Amino acid sequence: MAGEGSKFDVVIIGAGHNGLAAAATLGKKGKRVLVLERSGAIGGLATSYEISDGLPISRHAHLAYNLNPTVIAELGLSGKLSMRPLATIMLSDDARHVEIDGETIRFADGSAHPDGEAYKEIRNRIKKFAGLLAPLALRSPPDPGGGLSLAGAGEAMPLAALALKLRLMGKKDMRDFLRIVLSNIYDLALDDLPDGPLAGNLAADAVWGAWAGPRSPGTVFSLMYRYGCGGAPLLPQGGMGAVAGAFAAAARQAGAEIRTGVSARRVLIANDAVTGIETDKGEKISAGAVMSSAGAVQSMMLAGAEHFDVEAVRRIRNVRSKGMTAKVNILLKRAPDIPGLSKEQMAGRLIAAPTAIYVERAFTQAKYGEMPAAPIIEAVIPTLADGGDRHAVSAIVHYIPRNLKGGWDDAARARLTGLTIDTLARYWPDLRDNVERVDAFSPADIENETAAPGGHWHHAELSIDQLLTVRPVNQLSRYAFAVRGFYLCGASAHPGGDVSGAAGRNSALQLLNDGVLA
Amino acid sequence: MDKQDSYDAIVVGAGHNGLTAACYLAKAGLKTLIVEKNEQIGGAAVSTEMYKGWIYSNCSYVCSLLRQEIIRDLELPKFGLQVVPYRGRVTFSDKGEYLASYDDAHVKRREVGRISPIDVDAYDRYYQLVMRQCRFIRPFLLRRAPDPTSMKPRDVGELMFLIKRIYDIGPRDVGEMIRFWTMSIGDFLDEHFEHELVKASMAGSGIIGTGLGVYSPGTAYVLLHHYMGDVDGSMGAWGFARGAMGAVTKALGAAFESAGGVIKTGSGLSEFIIENEKVRGVALENGDEYRAPIVASNLDVKRTILKHIGREKLPPEYVRAVERFKIRGSSGKLNLALDKMPSFPLLPENGDYFTGDFSCNTSLETLERAYDDWKEGRWSAKPYFDMLIPSKIDPTLAPPGSHMMSLFIQYAPYDLNVNGVRSADNWNDETRKAFADAVFDRIEVCCPDIRQRVLHAEVRSPADIEREVGLTEGNIFQGELTFDQLLFNRPIPGYAQYSTPIDGLYIVGSSTHPGGGVMAAPGANAAREILRRNGKGDLMPALAEEEI
Ligand SMILES: Cc1cc2nc3c(=O)[nH]c(=O)nc-3n(C[C@H](O)[C@H](O)[C@H](O)COP(=O)(O)OP(=O)(O)OC[C@H]3O[C@@H](n4cnc5c(N)ncnc54)[C@H](O)[C@@H]3O)c2cc1C
Ligand SMILES: Cc1cc2nc3c(=O)[nH]c(=O)nc-3n(C[C@H](O)[C@H](O)[C@H](O)COP(=O)(O)OP(=O)(O)OC[C@H]3O[C@@H](n4cnc5c(N)ncnc54)[C@H](O)[C@@H]3O)c2cc1C
Repeated sequence: MAGEGSKFDVVIIGAGHNGLAAAATLGKKGKRVLVLERSGAIGGLATSYEISDGLPISRHAHLAYNLNPTVIAELGLSGKLSMRPLATIMLSDDARHVEIDGETIRFADGSAHPDGEAYKEIRNRIKKFAGLLAPLALRSPPDPGGGLSLAGAGEAMPLAALALKLRLMGKKDMRDFLRIVLSNIYDLALDDLPDGPLAGNLAADAVWGAWAGPRSPGTVFSLMYRYGCGGAPLLPQGGMGAVAGAFAAAARQAGAEIRTGVSARRVLIANDAVTGIETDKGEKISAGAVMSSAGAVQSMMLAGAEHFDVEAVRRIRNVRSKGMTAKVNILLKRAPDIPGLSKEQMAGRLIAAPTAIYVERAFTQAKYGEMPAAPIIEAVIPTLADGGDRHAVSAIVHYIPRNLKGGWDDAARARLTGLTIDTLARYWPDLRDNVERVDAFSPADIENETAAPGGHWHHAELSIDQLLTVRPVNQLSRYAFAVRGFYLCGASAHPGGDVSGAAGRNSALQLLNDGVLA
Repeated sequence: MDKQDSYDAIVVGAGHNGLTAACYLAKAGLKTLIVEKNEQIGGAAVSTEMYKGWIYSNCSYVCSLLRQEIIRDLELPKFGLQVVPYRGRVTFSDKGEYLASYDDAHVKRREVGRISPIDVDAYDRYYQLVMRQCRFIRPFLLRRAPDPTSMKPRDVGELMFLIKRIYDIGPRDVGEMIRFWTMSIGDFLDEHFEHELVKASMAGSGIIGTGLGVYSPGTAYVLLHHYMGDVDGSMGAWGFARGAMGAVTKALGAAFESAGGVIKTGSGLSEFIIENEKVRGVALENGDEYRAPIVASNLDVKRTILKHIGREKLPPEYVRAVERFKIRGSSGKLNLALDKMPSFPLLPENGDYFTGDFSCNTSLETLERAYDDWKEGRWSAKPYFDMLIPSKIDPTLAPPGSHMMSLFIQYAPYDLNVNGVRSADNWNDETRKAFADAVFDRIEVCCPDIRQRVLHAEVRSPADIEREVGLTEGNIFQGELTFDQLLFNRPIPGYAQYSTPIDGLYIVGSSTHPGGGVMAAPGANAAREILRRNGKGDLMPALAEEEI
């Protein structure tokens, strides 16, 4: 029990944006909250650093496309955020790049794209269905244990509401939804599009962060997840750290205390209930509840596996978190020059995924622990819009396996750097001798820096068998994590990762709702 | 027109599903005709003489899925059907290891323990889980798939039946079920087992006939599709039909004829006769025409709709949906007449496994790489095979002392990639031989003298299977078994209850719910729908446990 003298109702492990969202949500309800962050800075996977003096850049995550509007509203973040929408440029070997700007699809030279309408039809259909699923991201997953009791009926409400909305769409859409929701993006795209940059766009956007190729069933769902809040990519001013900063400001305003450079060593438990936390410095802090934004296994180990039944332990150990994404930031010597693109277009979201089959092939190599010959890349040059004369590229490089054959060392990192530059140089030849410095973060580096399991984008693979009522594992999907007062609040919990804030906010509401803090 | 040329119902195609549907129509008193393009009935379930004295099944070769309810109801044993269960099986690795499996649960445990003690208990848990899923799914096989968009009492009733079954299994198992149905067989096996060979030995059923790899989500379901059958009530068991798979369709054919049905073989359908959006009969390639107000097609949905009906007669959206339906060739066959029993130097002599199947796959990675080759339009460099020596079980299949060997091979593409050009025309004697060589190399891992034993070999690429049997792309299930093509999505959302936009025209083959394999469920379900729609629903026996 949290003793009389205890200063905190809740201790939160990790000051990633989800931990901070949980802190702000609890603080607003009058709870006294302490956030502990092992690294020296807040943000987790959402941080910025200076790649050169006065030149901030996102360290890992760099674009906000899934930031939840409800979370923004509830936490009052809008005044704290400055973000700019980006057009997407699909790079093409023949310099006939394709620009996707909302409803406008055209070649970069402004001429009409023959497949623009077909592309929009597919994308907008997926967006429509994504909008239908979106409300599920703001609730705890339905509890199948609720059964047919009144409480159970309440649990089934969101699903019933979904079913109703599906019906209201009409038979045609409902059938279409039920057909495609579990299917793969490769077939869906290529049924109606020739393989090229537009199919490549759908394929790539369905697989960032995933240990899955576009041919894998489930990738249409992952694209729906990405489109849950509309999917329009926004570039945060000052890098992703600024977004985490906004969450931190909201948490502090709500009275939460944030300590960095302090790691949780173990969760203190007595009589099967949380009593507080012990830090790596040996300090014991009592609290009525502890929330963890660490991964599922890591969180279990913090509490001690002995508090979990054997089935839970087995399930948690089997959570798949095979990281596949690297980050490479490149400081340039001079302004970039990409053939076929205007300066405004160069400031967009540049994607190297010229075809859907290209994306699949990259996965085919990476799934065996090899670096693919040609990875997919999402690059932004945030400095272009700011008008300065110093420039840097922020590039997400996908299908770079955490479990690289031979392991990650300096040589492997150098290969990652070379691969990234080679891949971009296919479309941007001038890049090769425009590189001043490169900071490459392998999935292993990302794991070391942020403790994200496997360096995984979503902490736990966002596949259908690790979603909703089985995320992160069956029977532990409603944030409460086996021990009374212990909760998950990060990306490995429902609904999953991305800079969205939903997991943190939902978990806090669930904790309040469970009456643990009474 | 001659009165003889009109019938109450015509079934196009004498595959086992067409035969099953026809049996039920005939038994309900309909004057029923089957037209079949080949000289022989049976489709993908036949027995033929491959080589003087060697009898074989050129497509399907083992039996388990065939619904017991139908076997009993149509009295197939009376018409000669007898299924002999396997008693063992064995998987070899490249490293000279093998893992056998036996009927006897205790022996099986000891055998797993021989190579991997830690996997023994895991096996029990694994088996329990899979069997639980089988028990869940089996009652749905002989029901129609509900249309979730429909408010009709029958559809709502079926949907409620589904929801109730899910509710009945309890919250914990619902979660396990969701996971099982959506995950890959590779991940599922990785969760349970440590030893690569143990995993590899169980993964094959997750990919057979399927254009997916062991790590593609949805392949655990494909495994289930191969486990939900039984032999003599032993769930998940596989067996061998005495006289080869033709015994199944011969029995069905005899049952049909004894119910008064007529079979005409040797000329295929040219087109369905359609007048005013209603089917009126069929026109055959030899010029014959037969009339009937009910026509049931045993061909897969793509063939039925795209090859034998003018597009202008169909709603464009429906045609589009049929074009999108995925029927991908991914399997081939190799059938061998052997002068005598080949040697298996790694195996102790006279084990039960000689009456079961053999495969050779070292690890899940080998299997996944086999899939990667297929994606690029090549046969797998190290293909997975399921090999059987049917003459060990049924000596009548080969001359005394000699043997018949049958291999099912995964993966072989339909549109073979040769120098960057993908086309079914690339399958010729040369490529077929190279493909067979890749398979022989693998057989030699367990059976080094195999090449010396061969008197006659017959290789079948997906393109060959398509040509001979009329299965599009040679796909064994008449359509991929992925979520988007199962239950109410199979074959086409809105047309999952055996009907088509053409009044009176039905689809009764494996393209429909619950899918492929020698199961007879699509045919029986379709017959029920046809009879019901024609006011004769009460003439269909209740095969499912609880009717709605
Ligand atoms: C390379 C990469 C690029 C990405 N790009 C994008 C993108 O562009 N847009 C997007 O929306 N998403 C992106 N993502 C995903 C997104 O960044 C994450 O899903 C999201 O930031 C996760 O937030 P979180 O708060 O749940 O966890 P995290 O951000 O991982 O935070 C967890 C925190 O817990 C701390 N912690 C762990 N253990 C302890 C302990 N014992 N004691 C104290 N503290 C502890 C960690 O240090 C960390 O700060 C990307 C991910 C990766 C890997
Ligand atoms: C190589 C291979 C191995 C297999 N192994 C097994 C196995 O071991 N066990 C198992 O259970 N399943 C197996 N299967 C699957 C199983 O054989 C099929 O799913 C099943 O037999 C299909 O039955 P069906 O009646 O739906 O269709 P089919 O058997 O394909 O019947 C269709 C019929 O229509 C006829 N037809 C086609 N075109 C025309 C036309 N224009 N006019 C008239 N008739 C026409 C065909 O000749 C055929 O007789 C295998 C399949 C293949 C290809």
